[in-house]
Amino acid sequence: MSARVPALLVMHADLAAALLRAAGTVYGPIEGVNVLSNEGQSRAQLEGRIASEVGAWPAGGLVLTDFWGGSCHLCGAAALHGRGELVIVTGINLPALLDYLHNRDHYPVLELAERLQKKGQESIRVQRGQPA
Amino acid sequence: MSWILHRIDDRLIHGQVVIAWGERLRPQRIVVADDASASNAWEREVLGSSAPGIEVSVLGLAAAAAMYESEQARAGGAFLLVRDLPSAHAMVVAGAPIPSLMLGGLHYAPGKEKVNEYVYLDAADRRAARALLDRGVKLEVQDVPASRPLSLESIDAAVRTS
Repeated sequence: MSARVPALLVMHADLAAALLRAAGTVYGPIEGVNVLSNEGQSRAQLEGRIASEVGAWPAGGLVLTDFWGGSCHLCGAAALHGRGELVIVTGINLPALLDYLHNRDHYPVLELAERLQKKGQESIRVQRGQPA
Repeated sequence: MSWILHRIDDRLIHGQVVIAWGERLRPQRIVVADDASASNAWEREVLGSSAPGIEVSVLGLAAAAAMYESEQARAGGAFLLVRDLPSAHAMVVAGAPIPSLMLGGLHYAPGKEKVNEYVYLDAADRRAARALLDRGVKLEVQDVPASRPLSLESIDAAVRTS
């Protein structure tokens, strides 16, 4: 058992709140995960809000964002400077978020981040229809 | 070919640039012209890795202005990104013959007035816009390819008298 790894979801429009709500319907009531939207935020404003959230994590944590190269990722990356105990995972989907919730008390930050990356990638599969 | 997009956006590289415009125009290079980013090694590293498959350069405004014409002669398309209107004006004053600029995202900050949902300007922004217009630089407001470009002067009366 590790200390719980905190997480912040930062995504476009209402996605973070919607994803967390969807996770709640599968996982049950969720505590300790905050959400931010990039909507209407300048780079400086979003960087400031993320820095304020992760500033409350002395032992580090995860910033979970939607896609690599988006403002959520890049503004989160600004907060990582000088904070080796913080990790960003991009491309977060519902299976990855659920995996975080189930495992946030069991892995240290980096191991958990790598686990979420694997889980998110493995959850994207193709199932073809049967020809008539 | 070279310059295929000149954009003013306080987020610099982000989804609208890499995904929306990137998929539409397929640039080979992105030049971020921004003094603050260029002077910060971490920021250079983060921006440099933000657009897989696209070469990203992060330069100060003077350096970006100095390379503007040589970039124009290169094969493949390039995006130019600057943070705000005064920065764009500084590049033009420094000698970059930029023909037009897209105002793609200038978000709210104290003292700025709303022009539309994603463009907010203050007096300094409008002075820079006026100076650019007076130099013959076309200013259009557009966030993503699917939205209709509008001239800044047509939607912001204040810039006409700045």
